[in-house]
Amino acid sequence: MLYKEVIMAIRVNPRLIDDLERFGAEDVQFCYHCGDCSTVCFHSDQMYRFPRKSMRFLQMGLGRKIETTLEPWLCYYCGQCSEQCPREADPGETMMSLRRWLISRYDITGIARLFFKSLTTEILAVIGVAVLTGAFLLYYGLSQGNFSIYDGEGAFLPSHFIHSFDLLVGACLAVFLLINAVRMWFFVMVRGTSFPVPWWLYLKKLYLMVWHFFSQRRYAECKSTRPTKIFMPWIVHLGLMLGYIIMLVLVMVFIEKLQSGPRIDWSVHIFGYLASVGLIIGTIYFIRKRISRKNYVQYKKSHSTDWVFVILLFMIVLTGICQHIFHRTGLNELANGTYIIHLMAVVPWLLRMPFSKWSHLVYRPLAMYFAEIRRDALERQDAVLPSYSY
Amino acid sequence: MRNGVFFCQVEDGKNLNVDAIAKYAANLPGVEIVQNLGLKPHLKASLLADLILANSLTRIVIAGDMPGYYKPVFTKAMALAGCNTDEVRLASFKEHGATGEIALDRAKATVACANMGVPFALVAIPTGNPVNHSTLVIGGGIAGIQASLEIANAGKQVYLVEQTGTIGGHMAMFDKTFPTLDCAACILTPKMVSVVQHEMIRLLTCSDVTEVSGNPGSYRVRIRQRPRRIDVDSCVACGICSDVCPVKVDSEFDSKITKRKAVYIPFPQAVPNAYLIDEASCTYILSNGIKCGVCAKKCPKECINLAETETFLDLEVGNIIIATGYELLDVQKIEQYGYGKYPNVLTSIEFERLTNASGCTGGRIVTKTKLFNRKSQQEEWVFVPEGVPPRSVAILHCVGSRNNKYNAYCSRVCCMYSLKFAHLIKEKIPDVKCYEFYIDMRAFGKGYEEFADRIRHEGTFVVRGHSASVEMVNDQMTVKGEDIINDRMVEFKVDMVILAVGLIPSAGTEEISKMLEITRDSDGWFSELDYNGNPTDTERGGIYVAGMCQGPKDIPDTVAQASAVAAGVLRSITSGRGIGHLSSVSLSEIEDRAKTIHAV
Repeated sequence: MLYKEVIMAIRVNPRLIDDLERFGAEDVQFCYHCGDCSTVCFHSDQMYRFPRKSMRFLQMGLGRKIETTLEPWLCYYCGQCSEQCPREADPGETMMSLRRWLISRYDITGIARLFFKSLTTEILAVIGVAVLTGAFLLYYGLSQGNFSIYDGEGAFLPSHFIHSFDLLVGACLAVFLLINAVRMWFFVMVRGTSFPVPWWLYLKKLYLMVWHFFSQRRYAECKSTRPTKIFMPWIVHLGLMLGYIIMLVLVMVFIEKLQSGPRIDWSVHIFGYLASVGLIIGTIYFIRKRISRKNYVQYKKSHSTDWVFVILLFMIVLTGICQHIFHRTGLNELANGTYIIHLMAVVPWLLRMPFSKWSHLVYRPLAMYFAEIRRDALERQDAVLPSYSY
Repeated sequence: MRNGVFFCQVEDGKNLNVDAIAKYAANLPGVEIVQNLGLKPHLKASLLADLILANSLTRIVIAGDMPGYYKPVFTKAMALAGCNTDEVRLASFKEHGATGEIALDRAKATVACANMGVPFALVAIPTGNPVNHSTLVIGGGIAGIQASLEIANAGKQVYLVEQTGTIGGHMAMFDKTFPTLDCAACILTPKMVSVVQHEMIRLLTCSDVTEVSGNPGSYRVRIRQRPRRIDVDSCVACGICSDVCPVKVDSEFDSKITKRKAVYIPFPQAVPNAYLIDEASCTYILSNGIKCGVCAKKCPKECINLAETETFLDLEVGNIIIATGYELLDVQKIEQYGYGKYPNVLTSIEFERLTNASGCTGGRIVTKTKLFNRKSQQEEWVFVPEGVPPRSVAILHCVGSRNNKYNAYCSRVCCMYSLKFAHLIKEKIPDVKCYEFYIDMRAFGKGYEEFADRIRHEGTFVVRGHSASVEMVNDQMTVKGEDIINDRMVEFKVDMVILAVGLIPSAGTEEISKMLEITRDSDGWFSELDYNGNPTDTERGGIYVAGMCQGPKDIPDTVAQASAVAAGVLRSITSGRGIGHLSSVSLSEIEDRAKTIHAV
């Protein structure tokens, strides 16, 4: 049943638990390993048992070991474990912090670590990128266009320029995410897997990544530990994510169609409106939950980086809508002004993604994918070598 | 003598005015310098030595909440200065009880004693006052019984007050005691009988203490005796009254797993061995004498007086022993275990009654059977002797104990009685599967670890890991858990779940603590004077605690503490010094007395 651990020198980092405190996990040392959390967790099974085991690794300071585990990504933080915990060690929040910590470990640049540990650095970086973006766009706009023209001939920020600008930002984003994903693969599937994984398993299980990405099915399963019919956080999370993806696609691919006006091109705008609604509702829902801190344990603690994301997102949605209205009503100067502010928020927000919690967009489906590959590979292994057991 | 007084605080004693003590110290005879070194000072022996030499000090007094912490550095300084290192004296506020209202005076007194070089404890012996030789014991469990017998055997009068109709308490409900697996009743019932037969013990059942006044050594106590309505002396416990009684209610003694009548005897070996009438359920009493009354008509001895009213009894006693015991946490509020929802989830005491040979199934361990109750027209789950024995049983430790939401403390006895349950089940149903879910095995006493080992070798699955929930799937209970040592998740199908429920102080504890003016700790148990040195006395002289009411403990510890309490009571009666209390000794008294004692 169990995969054999890699026989290697175990490196203990006695400061790991203190380090994690900066990422949000404050109460790990209270855990006395009763196993209540693993028992109530719906996602915890024979092969991937958490959160207790992760808490144990943390207490022992096995950072190198945690790096190679997938458990933090399999948790969707329904909060049941934290509600049950007799020691109030907050295992749910620990898993959340571990995800933040893992993001900082996957990140090759070290920026994520800086951001998670210091809010000031993060805010300065965001403002810096925003100012640079604004200055560049102003310089570009003024040097070739007219501030009172929004689109068409002599436009302040012509849409073909914005398109290439978007693609540039998108490419940066993709490169960072890809490097981090490869690092994750290396940690998990190379360093952390001691048994052979046949290459075709990667192909066989590929559908899982897509499935988990678009359905977030496992999040919905969290409801089974509660008496509710529909697990609200799942629906809202899904809406937010889909809105986010649609917007990204619209901006990256169909920006020129979006920009042309004042006539509204419904073939693309219908998606834009839907995505906006999803984003607004999602953002308001999560802000309200985080402020009221009721109902679900997972909203009781918020890391500073969570707020940066939410505030930026809110600014983006607001300026985006204003810019859209100004443009359609012919207030071109105002439209251009809000558009620059909009882009000043969008660029740091997008560039920040690989270094923040929102990169879980990539890591989570990847983790489910790797987890299933590992499980299959192990079963094959057990079929060959069925003898050992603990 | 040239003395230097140094104040070093380790904890921030906000309630203690150190400056006032320093002023007082400056006026003491022989004091040359007084220095307040502040909170947690970092001291250098060489600098202190300079100070000692500059003032040519011959004695150092370190005053503070934990002055012993700084003794080494001062001793070194004295040695460096070439003085007698024995002349480093400690004035320890914390150790000598400088808290509360008397804090300032007590602190001054400790400094004064240290300044004179006499031990505080030698000076501050409380003065006694005459002691009434009779003792009141509140609570008739094993602790109360043991203490009463010890005192009565020494020839002193004891009043034993018990709330229910019989003495015996929780121990009378148990089947076996761990780890020796002795029959609990065989140990307890002879003691119970000695109590009722003892000429020096007056047993007051169905009674409670309503008022306490007076001082240590002479307490005036008012006791309310609720009407038993059956004359104890003439009742022969024939049981005819119970046979004819039409009312059926849950039996408290059987932990509500069986029914009893409104006129009942808690259990056959009850002491005093007489029936009593339950006011809360008797038709005659509830209808104000209009209905029923059959028992009084049928009683062959004519000892039932349904019109009996409550009486009050005023007593003068010298000492009071509290032995009010414990009760179980309301496990229904811990929903995940399904107690009250699933029929075969039992608390520990319910299981004790089930497995007890005098219980409702004659000691057979069975699961509940669904029966149709004609009276209430409902189906109900009850234990019957011909019920089906369970094929597998799960025993869950730490239910509500060591849990910050319920009891943060360990209830201390659960691990051991759970192991005992496993043994009893294995003994009675040989092919049963028995699972123990524990967090940490607390087998802390003589023979306990060996007992735990024995149970493990008997074939009980001992799972290191707690189970968080009990679920019912298709009429089959399942218990899930994480087996931490074997590194796997486990899920067992079980027919019966026994919850080792945490213990809490009994219901009347708060009332008694107010009445007797005794503090309780944060968990609700009575506070003892000093956990290590004085575990039986309370802060009020002449009042003692014994047994579970002071904190969870097992039967051997309870009996030991009860005997220790008896020793304390007898000391106060026979020493001639009476019962005094340190708080009764004033500062000027201590100063005067310190002069009469030679410095050591």
